Amino acid sequence: MSGHRAATRLAVSGAATAAALVLLARASAAPVPWHAGDVARLRLSWSARPERIEVCRTRSAEEIAKMPEHMRQRTECEGRFASYALRVTVDGQVAGEAEVRGAGLRHDRPIYLLREFPMPAGAHRVRVSFTRRETTDDDAAAFAPVAAAEADTGLYAGRADREAAEHARRARAAVPPRLGLDTTLTFAPRGVALVTFDAVARRLEVRTGPAASPGTP
Amino acid sequence: MSLTPLERAARRLIAALDAAAARVYGWAWNPFHQMGTVAVLMLLVLLATGLYLLLFYRLGAPAESVARIAADPWLGGWVRSLHRYATDLFVIAAALHALRLFAQARSWGPRSLAWVSGLFTLFIGLVCAWTGFVMAWDTFGARLAIEGARLLDILPVFSEPLGRIFSGDGAVPTAFFFVNLFIHIVVPLGLGAGLWLHVSRVERPVLLPPRGLAWAMVGALVVASVVLPASLGPAANPFALPATTPTDLLVAWWLPLSERVTPGVSWGVVGAASLLAVLVPWFTSRPRTGSWTPSTVDPRLCTGCNQCPQDCPWGAITMVARDDDRPTLVARVDPALCVSCGICAGSCAPMGVGPRGLTGRDQLFDIRSRILPAFTPAPAIVAVCCAQAPAAHVAALRARGAHVHAVPCVGNLHSSAIEMFVRSGAPGVIVYGCPPRDCVGREGPKWLRERMFNDREAELQPRVDRDRVAIATSAPGDLAGVLAAYEAFATRTVALARPAAEGDVEVDVECEPVPYEEAAP
Ligand code: SF4
Ligand code: SF4
Repeated sequence: MSGHRAATRLAVSGAATAAALVLLARASAAPVPWHAGDVARLRLSWSARPERIEVCRTRSAEEIAKMPEHMRQRTECEGRFASYALRVTVDGQVAGEAEVRGAGLRHDRPIYLLREFPMPAGAHRVRVSFTRRETTDDDAAAFAPVAAAEADTGLYAGRADREAAEHARRARAAVPPRLGLDTTLTFAPRGVALVTFDAVARRLEVRTGPAASPGTP
Repeated sequence: MSLTPLERAARRLIAALDAAAARVYGWAWNPFHQMGTVAVLMLLVLLATGLYLLLFYRLGAPAESVARIAADPWLGGWVRSLHRYATDLFVIAAALHALRLFAQARSWGPRSLAWVSGLFTLFIGLVCAWTGFVMAWDTFGARLAIEGARLLDILPVFSEPLGRIFSGDGAVPTAFFFVNLFIHIVVPLGLGAGLWLHVSRVERPVLLPPRGLAWAMVGALVVASVVLPASLGPAANPFALPATTPTDLLVAWWLPLSERVTPGVSWGVVGAASLLAVLVPWFTSRPRTGSWTPSTVDPRLCTGCNQCPQDCPWGAITMVARDDDRPTLVARVDPALCVSCGICAGSCAPMGVGPRGLTGRDQLFDIRSRILPAFTPAPAIVAVCCAQAPAAHVAALRARGAHVHAVPCVGNLHSSAIEMFVRSGAPGVIVYGCPPRDCVGREGPKWLRERMFNDREAELQPRVDRDRVAIATSAPGDLAGVLAAYEAFATRTVALARPAAEGDVEVDVECEPVPYEEAAP
């Protein structure tokens, strides 16, 4: 190959390589649209234990006496886990309604809720209600120790109180029968308002900014 | 070789790519011939750069640590970009490699394992790429993670929707980034296994491009990484909805499409496409007849020289005990491994092996009965062309007066056929092979050269004037090179004394000729 042709080929191949690399770099980070326009979003996300709805009865002294000492629970309960009605309205219009249950085949695992509602940026009246669907008189949190026919002694002393405390703890860990939020939220363009359940305060609350976290710097 | 319409379309596409690359770089530097090895080279680049990046990655602060790496002007910035570009090139190379094999009808039969394991390797590479982008936890990484969670959440696997991790209801747990990193690091072990399976049925697998090309490609990518660093999006924020993300279209071209449909539709499309791809060997398989007949051995001709097992590129031949009283082993072909390339036929001096119609004896019979009569009134230069040679090259050689003799692969050409041409009065024989890295028989041009010029069995006999024999390359897009080689060879042979035709030429073979029909078991 003559010197001139070799130089031309070198120049052409250099230019072709440069063009290919520019294409590669462009294709490697192409600005692909994700969220169009001035859209904002209302996001509902929480996890909480569903209430257990129980029908309890107090065992008689004879029944308890027949049981091994370490199994002498005063109360026998049967029940199932509550389901909830979720209703979201935005500016008076129903944005979403759903029945929500605990996860798992028997719905005995926590409720994991994740719903998103797109909406235009700006101020909107947002109402969220999350209500137990089952009606019951049995308020588990008000469980009271049952007087034992015969006092527990030794290792088992104070068991009735512990039973009541355990019941109360479980009731507190569950989501309240009725949660509600009624507020006006101002959505920034491309902003997200998150409605979540504060397990300590036991109420719904709104967040519009990231919590400090490894993933959300 | 009969091709389906889809294979023909694919062939036209790769021929156009090859032609363009050959014009720009010359065929010897055409990267499209090397795509399988380029993919492996990119894996090595990914391994080296990945190990470096791992030193500075922080699970507790993924976005900041990657941003810090990207901002490092000395090493981190371009090493990260190189990692990214190598990923892209791996995907391109693997896809083009598959397309080429499909176009060359090399996707079925004994090659099915290589096809399926190649797909598996590409799939694993894509999973790795996915997790790698998530590691950066910029807007694109978050977008991939969210879509991944959406797709996984319809599977009855996780009781808690994965999407909640990214909802802003609490920090994205470090455990998520740990699992993601774990997948990113462990899954490549599957790449190694896939690669091993991919080449397990070939002898002498070539895993890397020629050194010059390898360095040139890595160098070009380094330059691109320095000059055009891969952009990093803003850190992910669950409370913001970015208008765009800097998306890697080579890895995630499907992402905007998948987001528009339900997860069920996405899974359906992925499942159907994967099934189609995996079933390609089934769709493209042919009956093992005609040009796809597996090779057979004539035990009466086999002298047990052990040459064909060494030359078979697919390890389809073994030497076994004879069932007669001759004191040698005999070659045996496993039809399940044989791809009918015919290379063994060129390796056997007594012409005792080869697919039906392609043995040395078949070649001599064909030349004597069909081709030599066409030599009258004056023999012409014989241009032996591979069946893969572009039609334009064949036509141009014919237009220059060459007598074109087609072979399925130049590795199939028996040296005695060349001798027969020369002793029949042909001024010379020029054999046009494919570019060595683009040989459908894998090792045709290599064995041809060894047999013609380096005394490898079945060698061209010393009595054949080497000035009358030449080897050249017929690469798509290089008609000028083909013709230049022809002109140079023609000029050379003109200077030689005119060879005398020897009448009814008998070419010695080590055993008595046995008609194929009788020899066939
Ligand atoms: S090359 Fe021919 S003679 Fe040698 S082992 Fe193979 S079949 Fe037998
Ligand atoms: S034709 Fe011969 S060289 Fe080719 S795969 Fe079959 S046995 Fe091996």
